[in-house]
Amino acid sequence: MLSLSRAVVSGVTRAPAAISQSGVTVISRFNSTAQSTPKKTTFGPLADEDRIFTNLYGRHDWRLKGALKRGDWYKTKEILLKGVDWILNEVKVSGLRGRGGAGFPTGMKWSFMNKPSDGRPKYLVVNADEGEPGTCKDREILRHDPHKLVEGCLVAGKAMGARAAYIYIRGEFYNESSNLQVAINEAYAAGLIGRNACGSGYDFDVFVMRGAGAYICGEETALIESLEGKQGKPRLKPPFPADVGVFGCPTTVANVETVAVAPTICRRGGSWFLGFGRERNSGTKLFNISGHVNTPCTVEEEMSIPLKELIERHAGGVRGGWDNLLAVIPGGSSTPLIPKKVCEEVLMDFDGLLQAQTGLGTAAIIVMDKSTDIIRAIARLIEFYKHESCGQCTPCREGVDWMNDMMWRFVRGDAKAAEIDMIWEISKQIEGHTICALGDGAAWPVQGLIRHFRPVMETRIAEFKQTKQATA
Amino acid sequence: MLRFPAVGRALAGLAPSHSARVQSRAASNMVEVFVDGKPVEVEPGTTVLQACEKVGMQIPRFCYHERLSVAGNCRMCLVEIEKVPKPVAACAMPVMKGWNILTNSEKTRKAREGVMEFLLANHPLDCPICDQGGECDLQDQSMQFGSDRSRFSESKRAVEDKNIGPLIKTIMTRCIQCTRCVRFASEIAGVEDLGTTGRGNNLQIGTYVEKMFMSELSGNVIDICPVGALTSKPYAFTARPWETRKTESIDVLDAVGSNIVVSTRGGEVMRVMPRLNEDVNEEWISDKTRFAYDGLKRQRLTQPMVKDASGQLTATSWEDALTRVAGALQGAQGSEVAAIVGGMVDAESLVALKDLLNRLNSDSLCTEELFPMDGAGTDLRSNYLLNTRIAGIEDCDVLLLVGTNPRYEAPLFNARIRKSWLHNELHVGLVGRQVDLSYTYDHLGEETSVLQELASGTHPFWEVLSTAKRPVVVVGSSALQRPDGGAILAAVSALAQKARSSSGVEEGWKVLNVLHRVASQVAALDLGYKAGVEAIRSNPPKVLYLLGADAGCITRADLPKDSLIIYQGHHGDVGAPMADIVLPGAAYTEKNATYVNTEGRSQQTRVAVTAPGAAREDWQVIRAVSELAGVMLPYDTVDEVRSRLAQVSPNLTRYDDVEGANYFKQANELAAAVNQTLLATPLIPPQLTAKDFYMTDSISRSSQTMAKCVKAITEGAAAVDEPSIC
Amino acid sequence: MAEYVNIVRRALGQLGGHGGVRGFLVQLFRANDVKTGALIGVDKYGNKYYEDSKNYFFGRHRWVLYTTQMNGKNTMWEVDGSMVPAEWHRWLHCMTDDPPTTHPPVPRKFLAETHQFNVSGTAQQYVPFSTTTKKIHEWVPPKAQ
Repeated sequence: MLSLSRAVVSGVTRAPAAISQSGVTVISRFNSTAQSTPKKTTFGPLADEDRIFTNLYGRHDWRLKGALKRGDWYKTKEILLKGVDWILNEVKVSGLRGRGGAGFPTGMKWSFMNKPSDGRPKYLVVNADEGEPGTCKDREILRHDPHKLVEGCLVAGKAMGARAAYIYIRGEFYNESSNLQVAINEAYAAGLIGRNACGSGYDFDVFVMRGAGAYICGEETALIESLEGKQGKPRLKPPFPADVGVFGCPTTVANVETVAVAPTICRRGGSWFLGFGRERNSGTKLFNISGHVNTPCTVEEEMSIPLKELIERHAGGVRGGWDNLLAVIPGGSSTPLIPKKVCEEVLMDFDGLLQAQTGLGTAAIIVMDKSTDIIRAIARLIEFYKHESCGQCTPCREGVDWMNDMMWRFVRGDAKAAEIDMIWEISKQIEGHTICALGDGAAWPVQGLIRHFRPVMETRIAEFKQTKQATA
Repeated sequence: MLRFPAVGRALAGLAPSHSARVQSRAASNMVEVFVDGKPVEVEPGTTVLQACEKVGMQIPRFCYHERLSVAGNCRMCLVEIEKVPKPVAACAMPVMKGWNILTNSEKTRKAREGVMEFLLANHPLDCPICDQGGECDLQDQSMQFGSDRSRFSESKRAVEDKNIGPLIKTIMTRCIQCTRCVRFASEIAGVEDLGTTGRGNNLQIGTYVEKMFMSELSGNVIDICPVGALTSKPYAFTARPWETRKTESIDVLDAVGSNIVVSTRGGEVMRVMPRLNEDVNEEWISDKTRFAYDGLKRQRLTQPMVKDASGQLTATSWEDALTRVAGALQGAQGSEVAAIVGGMVDAESLVALKDLLNRLNSDSLCTEELFPMDGAGTDLRSNYLLNTRIAGIEDCDVLLLVGTNPRYEAPLFNARIRKSWLHNELHVGLVGRQVDLSYTYDHLGEETSVLQELASGTHPFWEVLSTAKRPVVVVGSSALQRPDGGAILAAVSALAQKARSSSGVEEGWKVLNVLHRVASQVAALDLGYKAGVEAIRSNPPKVLYLLGADAGCITRADLPKDSLIIYQGHHGDVGAPMADIVLPGAAYTEKNATYVNTEGRSQQTRVAVTAPGAAREDWQVIRAVSELAGVMLPYDTVDEVRSRLAQVSPNLTRYDDVEGANYFKQANELAAAVNQTLLATPLIPPQLTAKDFYMTDSISRSSQTMAKCVKAITEGAAAVDEPSIC
Repeated sequence: MAEYVNIVRRALGQLGGHGGVRGFLVQLFRANDVKTGALIGVDKYGNKYYEDSKNYFFGRHRWVLYTTQMNGKNTMWEVDGSMVPAEWHRWLHCMTDDPPTTHPPVPRKFLAETHQFNVSGTAQQYVPFSTTTKKIHEWVPPKAQ
């Protein structure tokens, strides 16, 4: 008891505001460093009993029957009946951060919705518009574990007092949306959602809305616009969706994975979830490993697992051995790449990758071995962003197109060495000057390339100059 | 989607709505922010840009426009806020307490320079052949905020031009996608014609499918376009802004009295642009106002004419023409002389003509436009004015339109209704032919019986009208020109009185309104002209003086064979061909003259160009006639005429001021004495579709541009397509 | 002293050379000059050509006295530089020292046979059409039936 009260005192003096709201047990948990509990230093591999997504590979039945067997919808009513505060508290305790890329603390985001109502209904919007190159985590959930998401919608919806959930699913995910719709229909039929969901007295509907194939619609405000039937162009913030969202009502947009893990967190306790990963980067995470590895895969792992271990253990190692590694894009196409020497040590979590001047993003690891033309790879990514820019605001519309033109010249080497600085400057002129984050996402890969592979670019330019002189 | 109550309510707290007159809040509510260290107190919800404007710091912008919703997509207005990591878009970001806005910091300047570089990357550098040159926001701001050199060495984007009608020329390669025009079309004009297609660098502004931009306010996109992407087609390649002389004037092509600027060069009107007047036209003008100016250069009367022995009008000298007119006037007995005035006559000429005829012992002075003389008639001024005023529409909550199509009779008034409908949830009802008003309304039917049902409270709309806090009833002047006009006015007046008493609104609020269609009518009625030519038709005069009367409401056939018709005006339209003597007068751009709009607001036009040929200002012609006829009018200068105007009706010389009138009760009592019955014929205003809008008076009928508009509407924009030079 | 005598002698010579006071005044008013010199020749119209290279500097040493009647037009007071025919023009403007009296001109087909007066300023003058549009188009009244 004494130790606990001491923990409270020290917690108040040092912990951020969010912690002081939560219970005493939590505080002791957060202050584990000051306590006798030793700080966790090794992460992963994740034990099978700790996996949340137990049907990630579709080896079992994805329908309601199979889902019930795996523990979905187990005592959901009790979770709902424990009340909004309890759910929010569990999510806050768990330290869950948004799995869509930005990594905003989920508990805090959901609690924004619990302002006194002004008569408008509230909505939960689930962002299933997974379009980031390299990322394929949400589709596995959607097609193999849709009930996790439906149940997550119900729990998250309850936590924010939402009237309904809209699941905005990428248009290309035809089978996934079909599976999801089947799951929703099953849940309705079983009385799990809809009027008096799970018998808890709470009315909650889930709707599926299919997109039309625009990457930008994965941005939360663009998604809202698209959901409303307009062109998918990001809105200005403020007002934030929590004030004025879909159809003018308070809205929270959450990633599929974030929502899908919520029921399990509530069922197994926030502290269980907190037990994984480093401080402020807790939980388990779906990692997608693609590119030049022997067995590309999607795998659920503990956060903060070292990148090297992740690749070696789950993806069968880099093609041609670890020494054949050139670079890794660690968080989906919009994060800057990291070269091999950084990959050796880096931990796969928000803070670790931020330290390495990149980001966790959606944890989609794109591995490139030494056979890769790294400039061409980045140029291809920029072309993607050029194609997917909505064209609304100037820096992104004009700048990304400009960068694309330049990048393809860099691929050939048809440029001046000074233009490397210029494209760096252009990328800086885009970054942070746009309405949404797409501009940032387009600027970062170029910045990563220049940061780590500038000599390659310079050599390419020199070679081009030589061949040109030789042919002239 | 625009009119989303929930959105509106939520946004109301975030950004101050321009529509609602913002009440000054208590000082305690104010937020203190700093602009470059200078403290300034602003209301909560003020944007960074507005706060900067308050201390006189202009933030560069392209997409932001005070009267349009905030798009925030040009990113030119990025400014640094102290202790905020990213620069914020000043136009959209509401200020927070204690913010220090750095409008000229290194980061701010870098951001601006970067955005400017991107904007110029794909913008053609064709300023020397661009019509926007000299008044281009991009030009000005790139000089002020841009870099002095270009680093862009890739190939530029080119966009196909679109044909959106005979008024607006598009050079879409110049477009910087600010979407001002799109927002104008959907918010102010109320037509969803413009929009964006494509994405990324292929984003284009267009009409989705090949069609015209069908709005009576379309010309305003030329003004709001910050670059030369949308320019005026008739004005293309004719003048540069720095070589024109600008004269602030008033438009007389409708009864709204829009404030305009007339740009002239070398004695020729080059274009007409709007001038800011919050009470009348804000900063918009209708297409007729803007583009009918080429009518001022065609079909003009430039020298006096008289009919020779063969009946052919031939040019003559002023002496000859004036002597003949004077002789005719002298030779006629008092009541044998009559005058009809048209729709674009100024108050000075009206009073001069009235004085002249009164001195000749005649009082047969009529306006072409009819107005019921039963009941109170034109004796009570409140009976024929738009009493609520145009800006007053923003304060009302229920509006009933009777027998009018304001969209084409008074486009700016309609824009005001739409604004109130959009921002203040104005409820509109319409009695009359169902037309597209650019906003939704309850159509109550086109039968006159609806008025009786409303008055008796049996019509379902009465529920709405009776619960209104500030009701307004507007009756169109065309509805009052029917044979049962008196009865309609009486019915509407009774209805207005009833709505007023049920609303319990304060005494100063005016419910009954008449929407006129011609610019001279209110001044003429103020000066005591009789409305309508019925008196002249029943008692044909020997000498008929037509002053700008071109509506053709009286013809030769209505007069005895030997009668003499004198036409004085500026266009050879309907009146001049039937005249025996033609006296050339001045159009509204050529004289200092007073006009009173439908609200009763007197405003004056200024001389922008001199009258062509031998034409003279109208009151001077009448003054000269009076001298030769031996009944010399006692004024020699325009100031003396105006002091005479002030004698007759003082409000006519109180410029820019509205003299209120409030005798509704008395008018209503007098209206009870009207012994007319409502006819069963439906209420159909004369201008129903856009086709009827463009050519309504002698100037717009002479305009080729307006003719092209009509042709484009009937046959499609391709029919009037001209090969573009650039 | 001798200079003054010379001046008087020249004055007397000018008086006499134009046929007395009346002729002198007529000459003064017509040509604004009363020079006398050697008559080199007379053209077919009656214009007389003089030369005095002794008393006048180059450029003023040759002159013409126009005829008073030419092609039916009274040219007593209204004279025109174009009245000098082409052959005399060369001599008069010192393009050659050989007057057409001693060196008859070669006939050329482009040389005018008979002189035509300049019609500038008269009703016959050439007026180019306007290339600018009218600023104001006036109304043309309909034809009476």
